Amino acid sequence: MKPAQVGRVHPSARLPKAAETMLWYIVLCLVALVTIFPFVWVLFTSIKGPKDVIYSVPPQLIPHDPTLANYLRVWNQLPVANFFVNSIIVAVVSVILNLFFTSLAAYPFAKMNFRGRDAIFYLLLATFIVPPQLTYIPSFVLAVNVFHYYDTLLALIFPSLATVFNIFLLRQAFKTVPNDLIDAGRMDGASELRIWWSILLPIVRPSLATVAIITFVTQWNDFFWPSLMLHTRERMTLQVGLVALQGMFSSDTRGMAAGVVMTIIPILIVFVTLQRQFVRGLTGAVKG
Amino acid sequence: MIQLGPRQKWREPSWPKPPMTRKFSLTPYLFLAPALLVISVFVLYPMLAVVYYSFTDYSIVTPPVWVGLKNFQTLLHDDVFWLALRNSFIYLLVTPTLIFLCIILAIIVNRKLPGINAFRALYYIPVISGSVAVGISWRLMLETNGLLNSALISMGILKEPVQWLAEPAYSLPIAMLLTTWMGLGYYMMVFLAGLQNISEELYDAAVIDGCNAWQKHFHVSLPGLRPQITFVAVISSLAALEVFNEVYILFGQLGGVLNSAVTMVFYLWRQAFNLHHAGMASAAAMVLLVLTLAFSVMNIRALERGTEEES
Repeated sequence: MKPAQVGRVHPSARLPKAAETMLWYIVLCLVALVTIFPFVWVLFTSIKGPKDVIYSVPPQLIPHDPTLANYLRVWNQLPVANFFVNSIIVAVVSVILNLFFTSLAAYPFAKMNFRGRDAIFYLLLATFIVPPQLTYIPSFVLAVNVFHYYDTLLALIFPSLATVFNIFLLRQAFKTVPNDLIDAGRMDGASELRIWWSILLPIVRPSLATVAIITFVTQWNDFFWPSLMLHTRERMTLQVGLVALQGMFSSDTRGMAAGVVMTIIPILIVFVTLQRQFVRGLTGAVKG
Repeated sequence: MIQLGPRQKWREPSWPKPPMTRKFSLTPYLFLAPALLVISVFVLYPMLAVVYYSFTDYSIVTPPVWVGLKNFQTLLHDDVFWLALRNSFIYLLVTPTLIFLCIILAIIVNRKLPGINAFRALYYIPVISGSVAVGISWRLMLETNGLLNSALISMGILKEPVQWLAEPAYSLPIAMLLTTWMGLGYYMMVFLAGLQNISEELYDAAVIDGCNAWQKHFHVSLPGLRPQITFVAVISSLAALEVFNEVYILFGQLGGVLNSAVTMVFYLWRQAFNLHHAGMASAAAMVLLVLTLAFSVMNIRALERGTEEES
């Protein structure tokens, strides 16, 4: 008899396949609602016109009177274009120079034998545990008294020229390069610099992309240190500028929402285009 | 143990010889020099300087004056410091919450469904958006005349609007919720990578042994994820001890009504850059350093124990 058999089937098999798939999509959508609802709400709020209320019971989500006026208001009252340019300068220059310095340093750690190698390496690793905020007091003093780059973009670029984490990551990548390749280069009379540039770097290109992404996102989203350094409006990055906006537009929810959207859009575009490298970069680094 | 005699010295090492010249060469140091210079100036020197500052009376504007342990004594008598320490400890609850939620999330997204990558990406968006933009969005929703109150009132859960951001009892939980929410996607991907390393055969074996869908995750996924769990425990607890942005963006320069959301790093920031007590701030930094070191050692111990059991 057919009905009697149903009881013997494994419980998970009782649900028809289609219904189970449906259920998973519902769960996935509910979680997505939790993670992106604030962004959707901010986006809708940022295009609300004067006739749309911000606070009402029940809440009004979708604007009936959409407008871009909020964006214009923010754009006109704050040097938003400067914020963008400054953020891009800081992130791009940091990425290029950080890649250069850390990949140079990673080569001897991975492939050369020299006095003090392990001592230096473990000293660097030990600094990794120290919260970066601890170093901000002396770094502040250095910025004001020694380097005189307080309130300039240099103050954000200089400390990020070399980072221990990136050196560690690239060292792991260089270690996977076969020694025979390097030896062959040496036989041909190539200098170490030449070997580094034409043999090692091309092989570890995916790891270089990882380092680039980590550095870019960290610099783009950094707030604590930039907020200590930048005070002139025109010299602010997006994150610092957005907090300045919060002070100016404290009673203008629409304007603040527009500011938030303008800050998130660039990094979101980068994320969507480089999604695969992004996730591998920020998460895959874990395995290093 | 094998005796190490003088002979050991001229014996060739048994491991494969690395492709390098044996004689002294400047080359490796030249490769290291730029990075080491930067790290010495911006990491090593500041770490030593902050130790020195912690024993001085220092306002950044005037030169530091040696005062011995006075800063630490002042700290011990500062109620706000103790509150900050307490809050930072409470903040560590973010770690088990994230481990629990993100393992479940990873299990949910670890299946082959059309469009699953799009969902993973949607969960990742809070990770990359930056704490300033995310914090301001939350703040807008939590304001007294914000979305949360109007939603709760229209659902009949609340009668009167609640001042979410001005009520001391809610400050720290709200900041912790924000930190958790921003971390979901990141730690989910860490656990997902771990799940995808677990062999399919283990799950099949578990099913044959009579495990149902949830039991099989308990008996196979959890043990298989041990390295990731340790990693997330280390990283997220260090991050929890270093929280600043969330508190600053949500509650401003005061750190919440009655200092209710002041954490260790927020306390450090206020002492150094708001009140210009750099000496006091450095002393607080020392306490934070000891805390993070203790946590790292504990976590590394746990990691070692974990790998011993595996082997």
